[in-house]
Amino acid sequence: MRDGAGFDELIHPATRLSIVALLAAADWADFAFIRDELTLSDSALSKQLSTLEEAGYVVIDRPLSDRRRRVRARLTPLGRKRFTAHVAALRGIIESSDATLV
Amino acid sequence: MTNPLSDAEARVALHEVERGRERVIDQIGMPAWYWWGLAGCWIALGVLNDVANAWVIAVATVAFGAVHSAVSQRLLAGRQRSGGVRVRADVVGRRAPLIVFGFLIALAGVTVAAAFAVYADGAEHPATIASVFVAALILLGGPRVMAAIRERARRAEPR
Repeated sequence: MRDGAGFDELIHPATRLSIVALLAAADWADFAFIRDELTLSDSALSKQLSTLEEAGYVVIDRPLSDRRRRVRARLTPLGRKRFTAHVAALRGIIESSDATLV
Repeated sequence: MTNPLSDAEARVALHEVERGRERVIDQIGMPAWYWWGLAGCWIALGVLNDVANAWVIAVATVAFGAVHSAVSQRLLAGRQRSGGVRVRADVVGRRAPLIVFGFLIALAGVTVAAAFAVYADGAEHPATIASVFVAALILLGGPRVMAAIRERARRAEPR
Protein backbone atom coordinates (compact mmCIF):
# COMPACT_ATOMS: atom_id res chain seq x y z
CA MET A 1 0.00 0.00 0.00
CA ARG A 2 3.01 2.31 -0.16
CA ASP A 3 4.98 3.79 -2.94
CA GLY A 4 8.72 4.30 -2.90
CA ALA A 5 8.67 7.97 -1.91
CA GLY A 6 7.08 7.41 1.49
CA PHE A 7 3.55 8.34 0.51
CA ASP A 8 1.33 5.88 2.39
CA GLU A 9 -2.08 5.14 0.93
CA LEU A 10 -3.20 3.39 4.08
CA ILE A 11 -2.57 6.45 6.25
CA HIS A 12 -3.65 9.07 3.75
CA PRO A 13 -7.49 8.91 3.81
CA ALA A 14 -8.69 11.92 5.83
CA THR A 15 -10.07 10.12 8.88
CA ARG A 16 -7.09 7.79 9.24
CA LEU A 17 -4.66 10.68 8.71
CA SER A 18 -6.38 12.62 11.51
CA ILE A 19 -6.21 9.61 13.84
CA VAL A 20 -2.54 8.91 13.12
CA ALA A 21 -1.59 12.61 13.34
CA LEU A 22 -3.22 12.80 16.75
CA LEU A 23 -1.55 9.59 17.96
CA ALA A 24 1.83 10.77 16.63
CA ALA A 25 1.88 13.56 19.23
CA ALA A 26 0.82 11.29 22.09
CA ASP A 27 2.22 8.30 23.96
CA TRP A 28 -1.33 6.95 23.89
CA ALA A 29 -4.88 8.23 23.59
CA ASP A 30 -8.15 6.88 24.89
CA PHE A 31 -10.72 5.67 22.39
CA ALA A 32 -13.19 8.20 23.81
CA PHE A 33 -10.69 11.06 23.47
CA ILE A 34 -10.01 10.31 19.81
CA ARG A 35 -13.71 9.83 19.09
CA ASP A 36 -14.66 13.16 20.72
CA GLU A 37 -11.78 15.18 19.25
CA LEU A 38 -12.44 13.96 15.72
CA THR A 39 -16.25 13.82 16.16
CA LEU A 40 -16.45 10.25 14.94
CA SER A 41 -18.98 7.58 15.80
CA ASP A 42 -17.85 4.59 17.85
CA SER A 43 -18.25 2.28 14.86
CA ALA A 44 -16.37 4.57 12.46
CA LEU A 45 -13.44 4.92 14.84
CA SER A 46 -13.40 1.17 15.59
CA LYS A 47 -13.28 0.40 11.90
CA GLN A 48 -10.38 2.79 11.23
CA LEU A 49 -8.42 1.61 14.26
CA SER A 50 -8.90 -2.01 13.19
CA THR A 51 -7.51 -1.21 9.76
CA LEU A 52 -4.49 0.52 11.30
CA GLU A 53 -4.02 -2.30 13.80
CA GLU A 54 -4.12 -4.97 11.07
CA ALA A 55 -1.42 -3.05 9.19
CA GLY A 56 0.72 -3.01 12.34
CA TYR A 57 0.60 0.78 12.60
CA VAL A 58 -1.41 0.94 15.84
CA VAL A 59 -1.65 -1.14 19.00
CA ILE A 60 -4.88 -1.27 20.98
CA ASP A 61 -4.40 -1.67 24.76
CA ARG A 62 -7.18 -2.46 27.19
CA PRO A 63 -5.89 -1.48 30.65
CA LEU A 64 -8.20 -1.98 33.60
CA SER A 65 -8.33 1.25 35.61
CA ASP A 66 -10.85 2.59 38.09
CA ARG A 67 -12.78 -0.68 37.56
CA ARG A 68 -13.62 0.53 34.08
CA ARG A 69 -12.50 -1.17 30.95
CA ARG A 70 -10.68 1.43 28.87
CA VAL A 71 -9.44 1.22 25.34
CA ARG A 72 -6.25 3.02 24.44
CA ALA A 73 -4.55 3.34 21.09
CA ARG A 74 -0.91 4.08 20.42
CA LEU A 75 1.29 4.17 17.36
CA THR A 76 3.77 1.35 16.89
CA PRO A 77 7.35 2.18 15.85
CA LEU A 78 6.37 1.03 12.35
CA GLY A 79 3.31 3.32 12.35
CA ARG A 80 5.41 6.27 13.52
CA LYS A 81 8.03 5.58 10.86
CA ARG A 82 5.41 5.36 8.10
CA PHE A 83 3.66 8.51 9.35
CA THR A 84 6.95 10.44 9.38
CA ALA A 85 7.70 9.23 5.85
CA HIS A 86 4.18 10.16 4.72
CA VAL A 87 4.50 13.70 6.10
CA ALA A 88 7.89 14.03 4.39
CA ALA A 89 6.28 12.88 1.12
CA LEU A 90 3.53 15.51 1.49
CA ARG A 91 6.16 18.20 2.09
CA GLY A 92 8.10 16.93 -0.90
CA ILE A 93 5.04 17.31 -3.14
CA ILE A 94 4.58 20.91 -2.01
CA GLU A 95 8.27 21.73 -2.41
CA SER A 96 8.45 20.23 -5.89
CA SER A 97 5.35 22.18 -6.84
CA ASP A 98 6.87 25.41 -5.47
CA ALA A 99 10.11 24.70 -7.35
CA THR A 100 8.17 24.25 -10.59
CA LEU A 101 6.50 27.63 -10.14
CA VAL A 102 9.81 29.49 -9.59
CA MET B 1 7.66 9.55 -10.80
CA THR B 2 4.35 11.43 -10.80
CA ASN B 3 3.05 12.77 -7.53
CA PRO B 4 0.10 10.86 -6.10
CA LEU B 5 -1.47 14.15 -5.00
CA SER B 6 -1.77 17.69 -6.24
CA ASP B 7 -0.04 20.50 -4.40
CA ALA B 8 -3.39 21.68 -2.97
CA GLU B 9 -4.31 18.19 -1.73
CA ALA B 10 -0.92 17.84 -0.05
CA ARG B 11 -1.39 21.19 1.69
CA VAL B 12 -4.83 20.13 2.98
CA ALA B 13 -3.35 16.86 4.28
CA LEU B 14 -0.46 18.66 5.99
CA HIS B 15 -2.93 21.07 7.58
CA GLU B 16 -4.78 18.07 9.03
CA VAL B 17 -1.50 16.66 10.32
CA GLU B 18 -0.77 19.96 12.08
CA ARG B 19 -4.32 20.06 13.44
CA GLY B 20 -3.85 16.60 14.98
CA ARG B 21 -0.70 17.79 16.73
CA GLU B 22 -2.49 20.92 18.01
CA ARG B 23 -5.35 18.82 19.38
CA VAL B 24 -2.85 17.01 21.58
CA ILE B 25 -0.93 20.19 22.49
CA ASP B 26 -4.23 21.66 23.72
CA GLN B 27 -4.20 18.90 26.34
CA ILE B 28 -0.90 20.01 27.91
CA GLY B 29 -1.53 21.22 31.42
CA MET B 30 -2.08 20.26 35.03
CA PRO B 31 -5.53 19.37 36.34
CA ALA B 32 -7.28 22.23 38.20
CA TRP B 33 -7.26 20.17 41.41
CA TYR B 34 -3.46 20.22 41.38
CA TRP B 35 -3.31 24.03 41.60
CA TRP B 36 -6.10 24.21 44.20
CA GLY B 37 -4.44 21.46 46.27
CA LEU B 38 -1.05 23.16 46.05
CA ALA B 39 -2.53 26.52 47.09
CA GLY B 40 -4.37 24.88 50.02
CA CYS B 41 -1.23 23.09 51.22
CA TRP B 42 0.78 26.31 50.87
CA ILE B 43 -1.64 28.12 53.20
CA ALA B 44 -1.70 25.20 55.63
CA LEU B 45 2.12 25.25 55.83
CA GLY B 46 2.04 29.02 56.31
CA VAL B 47 -0.44 28.71 59.18
CA LEU B 48 1.64 25.93 60.78
CA ASN B 49 4.74 28.14 60.57
CA ASP B 50 2.93 30.74 62.67
CA VAL B 51 1.25 28.51 65.26
CA ALA B 52 3.05 25.14 65.50
CA ASN B 53 6.36 24.09 67.00
CA ALA B 54 9.46 23.32 64.93
CA TRP B 55 8.92 19.54 64.88
CA VAL B 56 5.39 19.79 63.53
CA ILE B 57 6.55 22.26 60.88
CA ALA B 58 9.45 20.00 59.85
CA VAL B 59 7.27 16.87 59.60
CA ALA B 60 4.55 18.74 57.69
CA THR B 61 7.10 20.20 55.26
CA VAL B 62 8.71 16.82 54.57
CA ALA B 63 5.27 15.20 54.14
CA PHE B 64 4.21 17.95 51.75
CA GLY B 65 7.43 17.50 49.73
CA ALA B 66 6.96 13.73 49.51
CA VAL B 67 3.29 13.91 48.50
CA HIS B 68 3.97 16.69 46.01
CA SER B 69 6.85 14.77 44.47
CA ALA B 70 4.68 11.66 44.01
CA VAL B 71 1.76 13.61 42.57
CA SER B 72 3.81 15.81 40.25
CA GLN B 73 5.72 12.80 38.89
CA ARG B 74 2.42 11.16 37.99
CA LEU B 75 1.28 14.33 36.27
CA LEU B 76 4.52 14.32 34.26
CA ALA B 77 4.89 18.09 33.98
CA GLY B 78 1.75 18.73 32.03
CA ARG B 79 1.71 15.61 29.88
CA GLN B 80 -1.42 14.12 31.39
CA ARG B 81 -3.98 16.76 32.34
CA SER B 82 -6.85 14.36 31.73
CA GLY B 83 -7.08 10.59 31.63
CA GLY B 84 -7.78 10.73 27.91
CA VAL B 85 -4.34 11.24 26.47
CA ARG B 86 -0.69 11.37 27.47
CA VAL B 87 1.29 13.90 25.46
CA ARG B 88 4.71 12.80 24.21
CA ALA B 89 7.64 14.27 26.15
CA ASP B 90 9.24 15.65 22.97
CA VAL B 91 5.98 17.47 22.11
CA VAL B 92 5.71 19.11 25.55
CA GLY B 93 9.38 20.03 25.36
CA ARG B 94 12.31 18.92 27.46
CA ARG B 95 12.36 22.19 29.41
CA ALA B 96 8.73 21.97 30.56
CA PRO B 97 9.50 20.12 33.84
CA LEU B 98 12.26 22.67 34.55
CA ILE B 99 9.85 25.55 33.92
CA VAL B 100 7.30 24.09 36.36
CA PHE B 101 10.03 23.37 38.92
CA GLY B 102 11.44 26.89 38.51
CA PHE B 103 7.96 28.34 39.06
CA LEU B 104 7.66 26.40 42.35
CA ILE B 105 11.12 27.50 43.50
CA ALA B 106 10.22 31.11 42.68
CA LEU B 107 7.01 30.75 44.72
CA ALA B 108 9.01 29.50 47.71
CA GLY B 109 11.34 32.50 47.39
CA VAL B 110 8.41 34.92 47.13
CA THR B 111 6.83 33.33 50.23
CA VAL B 112 9.98 33.85 52.31
CA ALA B 113 10.46 37.41 51.02
CA ALA B 114 6.82 38.32 51.61
CA ALA B 115 6.87 36.81 55.11
CA PHE B 116 9.96 38.89 56.03
CA ALA B 117 8.35 42.01 54.60
CA VAL B 118 5.11 41.42 56.53
CA TYR B 119 7.09 40.62 59.70
CA ALA B 120 9.10 43.83 59.33
CA ASP B 121 5.80 45.69 59.07
CA GLY B 122 4.84 44.31 62.49
CA ALA B 123 2.01 41.99 61.48
CA GLU B 124 1.27 39.05 63.84
CA HIS B 125 1.07 36.13 61.40
CA PRO B 126 3.60 36.86 58.66
CA ALA B 127 3.86 33.30 57.26
CA THR B 128 0.08 32.96 57.03
CA ILE B 129 -0.32 36.30 55.26
CA ALA B 130 2.58 35.53 52.88
CA SER B 131 1.22 32.06 52.10
CA VAL B 132 -2.26 33.42 51.28
CA PHE B 133 -0.63 35.91 48.91
CA VAL B 134 1.43 33.16 47.24
CA ALA B 135 -1.59 30.82 47.09
CA ALA B 136 -3.31 33.49 44.98
CA LEU B 137 -0.18 33.61 42.76
CA ILE B 138 -0.37 29.80 42.37
CA LEU B 139 -4.00 29.89 41.27
CA LEU B 140 -3.42 32.80 38.88
CA GLY B 141 0.08 31.94 37.69
CA GLY B 142 0.00 28.14 37.46
CA PRO B 143 -2.43 27.95 34.53
CA ARG B 144 -0.50 30.79 32.83
CA VAL B 145 2.75 28.85 33.11
CA MET B 146 1.07 25.87 31.46
CA ALA B 147 -0.34 28.15 28.75
CA ALA B 148 3.22 29.37 28.08
CA ILE B 149 4.40 25.74 27.82
CA ARG B 150 1.59 25.03 25.32
CA GLU B 151 2.64 28.07 23.29
CA ARG B 152 6.26 26.88 23.25
CA ALA B 153 5.08 23.46 22.05
CA ARG B 154 3.05 25.05 19.22
CA ARG B 155 6.07 27.05 18.04
CA ALA B 156 8.43 24.06 18.21
CA GLU B 157 9.28 22.23 15.02
CA PRO B 158 7.57 18.80 14.91
CA ARG B 159 10.05 15.91 15.13
